[in-house]
Amino acid sequence: MHYKKSKEKLEVTLTGDFNLNAVRHISELLNDRTELNIDLKNSRFVNSKAIIFLHNLMIEEKGVIVRLKNPPKLFFKLLQILGLHKAWNLDEIVEP
Amino acid sequence: MDAHLYLEVTLPMLEPATDFTYKWCVNMGLVDDDAAKMTLAVDEVLTNILLHAYKPETGYVELWFQYTFSEIEITIWEKGEPFDPDRYIYSAEKAINENDFEGAALETIRQMPDHFLFLNLGKDGKEFRLVKKFADSLISDLASSGRDSDIVSSEQELAGDYKVAQVTVNDAEDIAKLIYRSYIYTYSKEDLYFPRRIEIAIMNEYKFGTMVRTKQNEPAGYFAVIKSTDSLIGEVGEVVVSPEHRRKGLMKIMMNELISMSRQKGLLGLFGMAVTTHLFSQKVNAKFGFKSTALLLATSSRSVYKGLDTKPSVTASVVLEFLPLIRRWRRPITIPELYKELLTEIYGQFEKQPSSPSQQNQPDSGSGKTDLKLNILYEKNSAVIIVLNMGTTFETSCLRMFRSIEELNLTSVYIDLPLNQNPLDKAITWLKEQQFILGGLMPLFHRETDYLRMQRILKDVDFEAIETHTEIAFKIKERIKSEYDALQKK
Repeated sequence: MHYKKSKEKLEVTLTGDFNLNAVRHISELLNDRTELNIDLKNSRFVNSKAIIFLHNLMIEEKGVIVRLKNPPKLFFKLLQILGLHKAWNLDEIVEP
Repeated sequence: MDAHLYLEVTLPMLEPATDFTYKWCVNMGLVDDDAAKMTLAVDEVLTNILLHAYKPETGYVELWFQYTFSEIEITIWEKGEPFDPDRYIYSAEKAINENDFEGAALETIRQMPDHFLFLNLGKDGKEFRLVKKFADSLISDLASSGRDSDIVSSEQELAGDYKVAQVTVNDAEDIAKLIYRSYIYTYSKEDLYFPRRIEIAIMNEYKFGTMVRTKQNEPAGYFAVIKSTDSLIGEVGEVVVSPEHRRKGLMKIMMNELISMSRQKGLLGLFGMAVTTHLFSQKVNAKFGFKSTALLLATSSRSVYKGLDTKPSVTASVVLEFLPLIRRWRRPITIPELYKELLTEIYGQFEKQPSSPSQQNQPDSGSGKTDLKLNILYEKNSAVIIVLNMGTTFETSCLRMFRSIEELNLTSVYIDLPLNQNPLDKAITWLKEQQFILGGLMPLFHRETDYLRMQRILKDVDFEAIETHTEIAFKIKERIKSEYDALQKK
């Protein structure tokens, strides 16, 4: 995993799938930062643990701003399976 | 290629396991999207095992990757805490309103493959089975595009005007067209309607065969051997001769070629599963020295072969016929008393058989733990349980296995007992109490060992419709029928 930290923001480029391992790494690095950008160009999938992790970050009281770049097709499919596709503001979360 | 991973359940294990899964799926022919879905399902299962199954100890997990021409199956086995997936139902409403994501991983696992099965084997652990079918173009789609014009020929060919060659991946589309043209859509092996599946099977050497073409390079016939995955034998399982090229000796040419190729590839024997709705296949097999060894009831959809008087039906039975290719194939030292007469007669058909057994062939006394392997044949709605080791826990392990597959509503369940292990008679008697009846001898069927097949048929069987060609096949049928009738009376 490659990352860049600033006071407010954590920018991550995953080298593999967005799985439990990645969730734990990102969680450790994020601390109290309020912005999280993740580039998923190398990911084949985002698993349910990762989706729950992002969901929880976004609904926290302080609310972390999450932005995803290059999500795989399967990410949208899983979001739909879990019924979150309408609850998430994908226009803002997913970078075009 | 089938594969097996045995892994310690740790966080660093996740990525290598999922990387392997993805690459294996792609190599076996899944499109990228489907390979990613299977990989995600495996990741979810492994993550759940990591988080919940072995807490707080560490444990192990086994993954079995199995390929068939129509689908791939990944089985994940673990022996951690008991778990009931039916208790974890995901609700999107609860997730959004109450932040309760219970069951999210299981919902993902259910949705990613085409089939998901959870088998609770009690003390023998738990299995998650993930199945994905290949998404390929049907041959009819290719045919409708006008590319099938090359297979129609009104010209008469002379016997000497054919050329025979080993099948290559380039023949895949022509093979599918030949099947389509000869059987329409009633051939029992659906994979043969998908050129891509044929191509991958040839490429990965799961099958090999011969192709006969006319001088004008038109496909006239195809005959292939499908290699077994757990023994050095093969099934003469796919054969077709285009209607206008029949009665010209092509079958004979191809069969001789196949036998020769099988010897060169080191196979110990060939077997055929001849349908019993007509005698054609049984007669052909007999002509080439195959001998009847078993009758398997309700195994496949019935084919309608152009030119033969057959009617479509839901299921058909098959006679198993075997041709040994080596001299060192030997009859086991012990034959179960219950079927001694019949099995002796079956073995007696083969020349140079039996030889006196060496010390190495002494039967195993069946000590230690029972080891069973379950193969679910989804398209045939049946299952084969292979007894790899008949240990002291044979009956309880079988009962656990039967219970775990109860909900699948299978048409038939087969159990293969190794003839080099004891106590066979006790196992057979017990299986008969569990409504199993004889199937017959399965020569060299698993791990180059002879097996006795017992079968439990969960639908009505019309024995009148079962035609047998050889005397021994008729005897096997009569024995099976008497056991079947006795069971019906009970």
